[in-house]
Amino acid sequence: MASVKKRDAFNAQSLGVNLNPKVKEARVLMVGAGGIGCELLKNLVLAGFGEVHIVDLDTIDLSNLNRQFLFRHEHIKKSKALVAKEAAHKFNPNVKLEAHHANIKDPHFNVDWFKGFTMVFNALDNLEARRHVNKMCLAADVPLIESGTTGFNGQVQVIKKGVTACYDCTPKETPKSFPVCTIRSTPSQPIHCIVWAKSYLLSEIFGASEDESPEMDHSEDSENAKEIEKLRQEAQALKQIRESMGTESFPQLLFDKVFKDDVVRLRSMEEMWKTRRPPEPLEFKSTAQPASREAVEKTLRDGQRVWNINENILVFRDSLERLSKRMAEMKSSSKGDAAEPTITFDKDDEDTLDFVTASANLRSVVFGIETKSRFDIKQMAGNIIPAIATTNAIVAGLCVLQSFKVLRGEFTSTKEVFLSPFAAERLLASSRPRDPNPDCPVCSVAQTRVLVDMSRATLEDLVEGFLKLELGYGEEIVVNHGDNLLYDQDETENLARKLSELGIQADSFLTIVDEDDDNPRVNLVLNVQEATASDDKPIKSLDIGAKQASDALSAPASPIPRRKRSLPQTNGHSNGNGVSTSSIAHENGAGKKRAAGEAFDGDTSNSKRSKLVPNGIDDDVIVLDDDGAILIDDD
Amino acid sequence: MTEVITDPTPPILLHGPSDKEKKYDRQLRLWAASGQQALEDAHILLINPGSGTVGVETLKNLVLPGIGKFTIADENIVEQVDLGVNFFLDEECLGKPRSECCVKLLQELNPDVKGDWFPKHKDEEIEQLLDGTIKFTMILYTAPLSRSRFELIQNYGLKHTVPTIAVHSAGFYSYFRIYLPGNFPIVDTHPESTATTDLRLLSPWEELSRFAASLTENLEILSAHDHGHIPYVALLLHYLVQWKKSHGSLPSTYKEKTAFRSTVAAGARTDTPEGGEENFDEAVAAVLKTISSPSLPSAVREVFDYTPNEMESTSSFWIIADAIKQFYKEHNALPLPGSVPDMKAQSTVYVQLQNIYKAKARQDVAEVLDTVRSHPKGNDVDVAEVESFCKNAAFIKLIRGSESSDVFDADIKVLADREFESDANASLTLMPLSLFPIYLSLSATTFRPTSNLADIIGTIKHALPDASSRPRVVEAAEEVARANGGELHNISALTGGMVAQEVIKIITKQYIPIDNTCIFDGITSRTQVLRI
Repeated sequence: MASVKKRDAFNAQSLGVNLNPKVKEARVLMVGAGGIGCELLKNLVLAGFGEVHIVDLDTIDLSNLNRQFLFRHEHIKKSKALVAKEAAHKFNPNVKLEAHHANIKDPHFNVDWFKGFTMVFNALDNLEARRHVNKMCLAADVPLIESGTTGFNGQVQVIKKGVTACYDCTPKETPKSFPVCTIRSTPSQPIHCIVWAKSYLLSEIFGASEDESPEMDHSEDSENAKEIEKLRQEAQALKQIRESMGTESFPQLLFDKVFKDDVVRLRSMEEMWKTRRPPEPLEFKSTAQPASREAVEKTLRDGQRVWNINENILVFRDSLERLSKRMAEMKSSSKGDAAEPTITFDKDDEDTLDFVTASANLRSVVFGIETKSRFDIKQMAGNIIPAIATTNAIVAGLCVLQSFKVLRGEFTSTKEVFLSPFAAERLLASSRPRDPNPDCPVCSVAQTRVLVDMSRATLEDLVEGFLKLELGYGEEIVVNHGDNLLYDQDETENLARKLSELGIQADSFLTIVDEDDDNPRVNLVLNVQEATASDDKPIKSLDIGAKQASDALSAPASPIPRRKRSLPQTNGHSNGNGVSTSSIAHENGAGKKRAAGEAFDGDTSNSKRSKLVPNGIDDDVIVLDDDGAILIDDD
Repeated sequence: MTEVITDPTPPILLHGPSDKEKKYDRQLRLWAASGQQALEDAHILLINPGSGTVGVETLKNLVLPGIGKFTIADENIVEQVDLGVNFFLDEECLGKPRSECCVKLLQELNPDVKGDWFPKHKDEEIEQLLDGTIKFTMILYTAPLSRSRFELIQNYGLKHTVPTIAVHSAGFYSYFRIYLPGNFPIVDTHPESTATTDLRLLSPWEELSRFAASLTENLEILSAHDHGHIPYVALLLHYLVQWKKSHGSLPSTYKEKTAFRSTVAAGARTDTPEGGEENFDEAVAAVLKTISSPSLPSAVREVFDYTPNEMESTSSFWIIADAIKQFYKEHNALPLPGSVPDMKAQSTVYVQLQNIYKAKARQDVAEVLDTVRSHPKGNDVDVAEVESFCKNAAFIKLIRGSESSDVFDADIKVLADREFESDANASLTLMPLSLFPIYLSLSATTFRPTSNLADIIGTIKHALPDASSRPRVVEAAEEVARANGGELHNISALTGGMVAQEVIKIITKQYIPIDNTCIFDGITSRTQVLRI
């Protein structure tokens, strides 16, 4: 090794003359600069990727530092995307880095913007954003490398439209919710008491209580109507007590209300306790022990031990005082006309965590349920997903290996890789990519971009002029904008209105559902692009090529493929009839980034595959240019 | 026994009640405070010749979770090529000692971690570092390295019974090999929670039988509510008693168990609003999983069959293991773990049921503890250790130490023949092709940093004379020759993740480390674990 080797020597040697230039020319997007993101960015930069865009809306927290190695203590509360960019840039000045401290769902990250990337890496921590990027990449036809970790488990998959399964080809578990009466009247497990403390008590006292927590299912029926009415009154009374916040008697007033009076009321409903252990009201022992500051501090330091009832009362009182003080400060510093300040649960906000821990445990004592340590309650209340550096390092490395295949265009030789840390015979399990699910509500739809002259296009132009005349749809169609129904056969009053008046703008997505009984088409997703005014038709497809016209002889055959089999429901477009509201739960409050049951569960690998088996589907996925009718432009 | 030597330091009190707890929150959920303490007490030595990235990437993954101390031994001076592959070096490091620069940048990741480097002066020799003055918890070393240094590391490991891990990454390939000088028992293996349910339905003790009988008395005339709230454990015990009365024995074959399952299902009332009963559904679902006679898991049998040597036999692990072995002989069952899964039941009944299982578990612990105390050294054994051992008894694991640590030892031919034979049948068995050729090719360059194809094949031929007629060996050797000792950052980062994961398992004595070599092929994104 006499000669001086250049910085790039090893990459040139191992990636070879074909791949190394492709890597240097690649322009990639990385969504998420957290655990996987930090590792991935390092690997991308040192592999010499030409240009990397980083999008993350999050700021740095102390609990990130055990793995997100681009961040230091002094970066806490700063933008992840910006700090990551600065840190990584030093290590390869030849790579162009661009950081966006923003939400990937922001409208300016539109389909055209996605089209500008060679590929996209998902390094996210929540279901909602994953789904969004999946949808955008399908619409833009840009390959997506999707990854996730949970503790020692992890997973990587390559999503290429029409070639491999997309993120939504297998249904994902939705977060659990509990009936309101279980939470408010008849808890039987620690989690019921934790949800009560976090989503009811804390938010009634310090939050905007109008927000109904998605963790609680408020649906009413004849059986629980009476109880729900009672609970409403109870909550009203609680609001009164809220008025005395900051006074010396406040802790006892609140305590007596929720751990004594409400319990006595509940206990009096004898028919409820015929088969259950009736709840036991608690006494506030305010005089029993004038809590020394040391005693409180000592308890608070001991978060891994389960506290006894007196310790829980101490912490209840102490955390309530801390929160009240904070509230008072927030109120005095806010302008009179501003909205009422609120404090919402955040697992990393000690005051709220202490309050929820103590309140949940006291409630558990009332109902004879096992009490838990603050450490455990933090995990249950905050939907904490364990995370470590090692797993992220492995997963990020696998992402980059898959990206090499993507750069070569070898989609079918990509691998879906699962970490299997507990299988002694191998640490990784890799398998060939799954085929797209023909019933997938997201990727087995037809897609096209439409140029719309927003100044004049009406819904009628869309339905009659475009869908029926140009695409050959029959009468039985439904037009949805998100969860909004714009048009169906019985819903025609919008026809004369302009699309712009119906809330549609550039980058909106419309879904066309064919309800033809005999031979319906697959759902069609239209991505609206704004056109400048012209004499031409107000709505034009961007992706239907001239070929369509020359094939017009074979019309009325529609360019939109027919469904392979009849489907029981309209594909994935819940019309919000209320049934599903309980299951559409997002993490409320400040922990909104981590929805429960998101991330990924290593154990699902087998069930994912097996779920496809009963369908016995080996059919080709619906590809738009199957019959040459709609051309996906590739530029 | 392989010792994980740590140097317990009194925990430092951080300002603020739980700053540390907060910083390490996400990992404490994986290995708890005890695992964290073990990490913080550990001192890792990295001997880092070669291009040096995989070793530093491994350390990064240990510094972040808060290992106590690390030392890097590396005589190289930073060059341009290092900057392209090693993230923990920057332009300012050019011309400076690589060990010192890497230590400084790694330490930035976590101010709680101490870092040191070697050599500090030009004339310092590595023998001084390994003269036994410093007790390292583990030694990581990367290849290629000199044979004399390799032997020095092995000798230290053997003499001080310290685990050593060899790591080698070149081009798209890597492997790491864990060398445990002595047996390595693990109690806290973290089995899946579903695997740990042990309800003893075929051999209930008296209190449990009595409790179940009291709940299922007059089953037919119970109110709809009571009937629908009998915990499934009691239901199964009830129907097992019935079955034994009519069949003379408990269901044991698959056929009998499915017939028994139908009997249970038939007991559910269907005149309910739901048309069935949840507790009966749970009982039916639990039949095949829980109605089985206890059999001794093979990993536990291995522990029972092993005769510890004189030094080992006085360790608390073997004293408790022996006590549990006696317990098993006496009762033909391991101590009861005592946990009860969640099930449909009234909460008071469920709590009673939990207490019955807990009481039995405590009784078993007491019995094991008595045996432990009767051992001459048994008084030094911690009660908590006995409790944890009893709880995990069915999942304890003994990893046998490695006999030899040479890169190509006598057994390599046996292993190679087995792997090649498996490959020959791969088209029939659909087994993935062996990655052993990668190990062979990388190992062949352990002591020769720049090797061409002929050198590599020549070295492998010493152990496997027919190497050049094996196309997959030649293919792997070509790839290693092409890499010419160069590391790909991405492959080294990924390998560093896997190595660090195993280091953490060994230091915390939690989870089961691999035994003993992991080979990675970055071209197919595959790994293979082999005992070499």
